Amino acid sequence: MGNLIEVRDVSKTFRVSKRGKGIPGMVANLFVPRYEKRHAVKNVSFEIEEGEMVGFIGPNGAGKSTTIKMLSGILYPDGGSLQVAGYIPYRQRREYVSKIGVVFGQKSQLQWDLPVIDSFELLKAIYRIPEEVYRKNLDRYTEMLNMGGFLNQPVRQLSLGQRMRADIVAALLHSPRIVFFDEPTIGVDVVGKEVIRSFLRELNKRDRLTMIFTTHDMQDIEKTCRRLLIIDDGSKVYDGSLEGIKAKYGTTRQLDVEFSHSIEVRPIDHVRIQELDAYKKRFYFENTKIELQELMNHLLSEYPVRDLNITEPAIEGIIRKIYQGEEVGA
Amino acid sequence: MRLTPYFAYAKKSFLGRSAYRFDHLMGIFSTCLQVFIYWNIYRALYGQRTEVDGITLAMVTTHFILSMGLKEAFYTDDGYLSRKIRDGSIATELLRPISFKGRMLAENMGNALFNLIFRFIPAVLISVCIVGIRPPADAKSVLLFAVSAVLGYGVLWAISFACQMTAFWLINTWSLFTVKNVFVKVLSGSMLPLWFMPEWMRGVLRATPFSSIYFTPVQIYLGQLSAEEIGWRCLVQLLWAAGIFLLGDLLWRRGQKKLVVQGG
Repeated sequence: MGNLIEVRDVSKTFRVSKRGKGIPGMVANLFVPRYEKRHAVKNVSFEIEEGEMVGFIGPNGAGKSTTIKMLSGILYPDGGSLQVAGYIPYRQRREYVSKIGVVFGQKSQLQWDLPVIDSFELLKAIYRIPEEVYRKNLDRYTEMLNMGGFLNQPVRQLSLGQRMRADIVAALLHSPRIVFFDEPTIGVDVVGKEVIRSFLRELNKRDRLTMIFTTHDMQDIEKTCRRLLIIDDGSKVYDGSLEGIKAKYGTTRQLDVEFSHSIEVRPIDHVRIQELDAYKKRFYFENTKIELQELMNHLLSEYPVRDLNITEPAIEGIIRKIYQGEEVGA
Repeated sequence: MRLTPYFAYAKKSFLGRSAYRFDHLMGIFSTCLQVFIYWNIYRALYGQRTEVDGITLAMVTTHFILSMGLKEAFYTDDGYLSRKIRDGSIATELLRPISFKGRMLAENMGNALFNLIFRFIPAVLISVCIVGIRPPADAKSVLLFAVSAVLGYGVLWAISFACQMTAFWLINTWSLFTVKNVFVKVLSGSMLPLWFMPEWMRGVLRATPFSSIYFTPVQIYLGQLSAEEIGWRCLVQLLWAAGIFLLGDLLWRRGQKKLVVQGG
């Protein structure tokens, strides 16, 4: 079985109006409109196998949504090639989109004025879902997401968390094999997020659905995805496992030490020392350059240590550093 | 062809349309009022004369009732695509495994059918009671009038469709549609029947699609055209509708590549 999704050197450029400030800028723009090209996505390539669950992250404006929209056949790429499940999404849009499901957290696909169940019925007609498949999916998903209470309420009266769950079910009714989620947890509270995450995990594990999802919440990624794709400023900067990124970038450890009385610590090679208060000091070190055990042995033998506390690098911190373009690990 | 989803959309808009009762009442009222005003203007213009250039007042009145009535039934939603592009919902529309154009047509047809039953028929009946109408030439003319009216709707719909496709580049198409509506109103003869246009102007108008929207059906109803002419005119209507639709379709294909989804 080959790759389900193949993306090769895909680029997308937008033309954005470049306008001077204030009224003079506006007048100038009226006569001589000026545009500049913005590369939303630059030569991005990746492959995804069937049954994978991939977290797709990057700062705002990095090109995540654009990539998702190209993968779902809405936008045409300017360059490169794109293939999903044997289809070229933008060329075979109509046949292709019945095979996939897409959730845009920021744009509801439900009919605003109609009860949720009516939107589902409309989707049933559009996708020509056989009655028994529709029944089975509807019953199963509404039970898993605990939606029985608001199926008959108009969408405009739902809370954000309820609407999001309804939108997710709407994208799954026609039993797609591949589902794209664009920020499916945005604005949802902690409990709601957890419900959505465990639902997605279950679908991936039990039904082997292939999923890609974008998010800004690292908890989403840590709790659901094994693989991570990071895109920044239109280019792919990381593709690998969650553990991999910690190993690759999260090499800085920190060791907090409490001494039994105020002392002066002599400089240690490859270790940065930060004074927290009279008794407490924080040691930053690279685990590639100095072993934890070595450092601890050194401290324990030289100084009167009362307490030790080691902190693992948090994924948020690592990601933040990648976004800010810092030399990771410094 | 999978008709069910399109039928669902047509039904949805047909049913949804019934929510605007006041709008329909006002629509019928305004149509009757316009017919009444034009009737009075032309009555004054005719004065003592029974006919001008072979056209009787009864024919003019009939022209206004039919073309104003058809205008009620010919539903187009000029802002459809531009709205969807502006608020970004075009993205979710393109995710549906159906033709966007087909869906657009289906929704418009649902509305048009509603308007035909609940606006065209009452407006025509009321107008006929007030100002009277010339009976159709014969039964065949009524049938051919209906055929030609459907084709006329096709032409009008295609014009709206092609103009809407410019929204991919312009985003805001309101001003373009204002111009389009003036063209349709003046050149289709719905304001000034084309009989009264100067000869050279009629020649020019025959080369545009506008005269085939309302004027051709009206002429057929009045029995002004020979069987051969009717055949030709209907063919011209069909060609205009198809030609303009194809132009719009070309713009649609180009436009999709240009598409920018607004807001995230």
